[in-house]
Amino acid sequence: MAKKLSIVLLLIAMLSPMYAQQKTVSIWGWRAQDVDVWKGVEAALKAKGEQISIRYEVFPPTEYDSKLLVSLQGGVGPDIMYTRRLPGARTQALLDNGYLTAINGLVDLSNFDDVSLSFISTDNKVWGVPFANQIIGIFYNKAIFDKYKLKEPQTWDEMVQIAETLKKNGVTPFFVTGKEAWILAMQNAMVGVSYPGDEWIGKLTVGKAKFTDPEYVNMLKDLNALKKYYQKDFMANTSAEQDVAFAMEQAAMVFYGVWGNTNWLKMNPDLKFDYFPIPPKDKNVPARAYTYMDGAYGLNNTSKNKEAALKVLNYTGTKTYGELFSSTTGEITAIKGVTMPASKPILVKCYEKMTTIAAKNRYWVGSPFDAGTPSVYNILEKDMQSMYLDQMTPEALAKRLQDGISTWYPAFKK
Amino acid sequence: MRKYSFLWMLLPAFILYSVFIAYPFFSSLGLSFYDWPGIGPKKFIGLANYKNILSGFMSSEFYNALWHNVVFFIWSLILSVVPGLFFAFLLAANMKGTGWLKVVFFFPNTLAIVVVGFLWGLLLNPQWGLINQLFRVVGLDFLAKPWLGDTKTALPTIIFVTAWRGLGFYILIYLAAILGVDREMIEAARIDGASELQIASRIILPHLYSIIATTSMLKFIWTFNIFDIVYAMEGTQGGPAGSTDVLGTLFYRIAFGGLGASQVGMGLGATVVTLIFLIVLPVSIFYVFIVEKRVEKGE
Repeated sequence: MAKKLSIVLLLIAMLSPMYAQQKTVSIWGWRAQDVDVWKGVEAALKAKGEQISIRYEVFPPTEYDSKLLVSLQGGVGPDIMYTRRLPGARTQALLDNGYLTAINGLVDLSNFDDVSLSFISTDNKVWGVPFANQIIGIFYNKAIFDKYKLKEPQTWDEMVQIAETLKKNGVTPFFVTGKEAWILAMQNAMVGVSYPGDEWIGKLTVGKAKFTDPEYVNMLKDLNALKKYYQKDFMANTSAEQDVAFAMEQAAMVFYGVWGNTNWLKMNPDLKFDYFPIPPKDKNVPARAYTYMDGAYGLNNTSKNKEAALKVLNYTGTKTYGELFSSTTGEITAIKGVTMPASKPILVKCYEKMTTIAAKNRYWVGSPFDAGTPSVYNILEKDMQSMYLDQMTPEALAKRLQDGISTWYPAFKK
Repeated sequence: MRKYSFLWMLLPAFILYSVFIAYPFFSSLGLSFYDWPGIGPKKFIGLANYKNILSGFMSSEFYNALWHNVVFFIWSLILSVVPGLFFAFLLAANMKGTGWLKVVFFFPNTLAIVVVGFLWGLLLNPQWGLINQLFRVVGLDFLAKPWLGDTKTALPTIIFVTAWRGLGFYILIYLAAILGVDREMIEAARIDGASELQIASRIILPHLYSIIATTSMLKFIWTFNIFDIVYAMEGTQGGPAGSTDVLGTLFYRIAFGGLGASQVGMGLGATVVTLIFLIVLPVSIFYVFIVEKRVEKGE
């Protein structure tokens, strides 16, 4: 008996240091699709001999920010938190209250380009490790385009002509999700970078152009006129229904983001689709792609587990992580130089567009117009629905934007 | 000492009430006087939040949402009480299949609201939803509409779905009240030559007035706290174009921020909650008064 007891005690003595070294890093985020990514990170760290477990908790995107803020205030936040972009009121609130740690010098950021880092930096301080870059625009069904001998349009009018051809042949040209206000806001923003264009938004940003200018109002008019090519009763459709319609080849084009590809391919692995940026109205204006850094991993300044958390963050800055992220989520990692999986040609194409024709200026997420209340996002969410329902004219929408932003945006107050 | 021993028995309920009802309410009331994004120091701003909601930059959204709550209450009351009474009378007649019908009527009540919202979202899909397909099959194409995507039909549709889900509850309550009416009185009326319609309208219905009043007040309280069904069917924006926005979704957007980019406003959100409470409070007091009266009468 004494011999057995001593063996048990010996085993406990041998194993206890292992458990003592085991650290659990808690991570909070809004992206359910990242669960497997974190499992992969944990496995990779363990393979390197790091005794780190990762506990990833996902919250609904609509509630994440407020839950995070209230929890941090109550002293029960995670070690690593997903943050959105800067400029942006929500990330700014985390900064203003000292909950984010500047990671310069703590995390190797050499694998990120300046543009990605600029979305999460202030005064040369980097507040998080960017995880994904998104690109939005038009995704189209290649088989349908090939069937009607259509090519990617170079101008807005060519795009309208394509829609006309498709409609005449009984094909739904565009599937639009009018019920989801945020997608209509996004649609407006992706059009804006090509029509009226990147340069015009640059002027808008410094207060040398207005939303009420003819360039922007004309864009709204053309966008509103495009609705005759949307599916019937589009104001009652959701993004889930859009996914089904596009994957099942019931519509030729959708205004969406690259992240949609995972769902489409799950539903229809044989689907052949491609991407083009919104074409400009004036062929002398270059077509631009709306790109933005989707979010970053921030280190909680009050974390008692910083050493282990930094090991996790350092791993998320490596190319190996970038490959893991892109292959698992089907999205574009923020890490530069990562080869997109050849099995996902859409990622290869979008990555190429992201590096060649990304707009420098924007007025939706990741823009200065996103930093106050009401933001352009807030106004477009409601008013794009009103415009499409013919309850608000394009001129009135433009005025609402100009008036709303003028209440707080410095360049508009001058 | 023994005289006050009952206080010990009240203590558990008092603690639970204080922690889960009183403290959150007074905390929320206090918060409504501050500007607070949910983090960092709170800034006392007096009645500024109330001014912003009632006559400032949030007033149009607030009154829009309040009006929808009023419309929601009136129509869901009509759609609950009238069919509720009708089916309760039918079931009270004890026709064949009554027991089965009770289960059918009450079944939607057992479904979670999110499930109800999801199911009706599928049924009402404009392209392949069953409702529009049925209308097309029977030649009523003009009724095949984007029910949840049109500002004219979205709110009535959600009210209808809410009434559909809650109908079984009203039927059971009214049925219990009908069966509680003195049988001898009904038999005596029958012997005196009263028709079934006269019995229903002049004997049974007057006995139901207090229960109808009670359920109406409950409906008022529930309607002014409504959030989940609108959230499930139209999201936090109460779309399209704010046509289904109610005080609950307005609060949610202000306090939690939704998907938009704005900073969250806990103080402003707490103000909306306080105003909802002030609207519901008088009705709740009256409800308690009515219930106590009924208890006194032994109903």
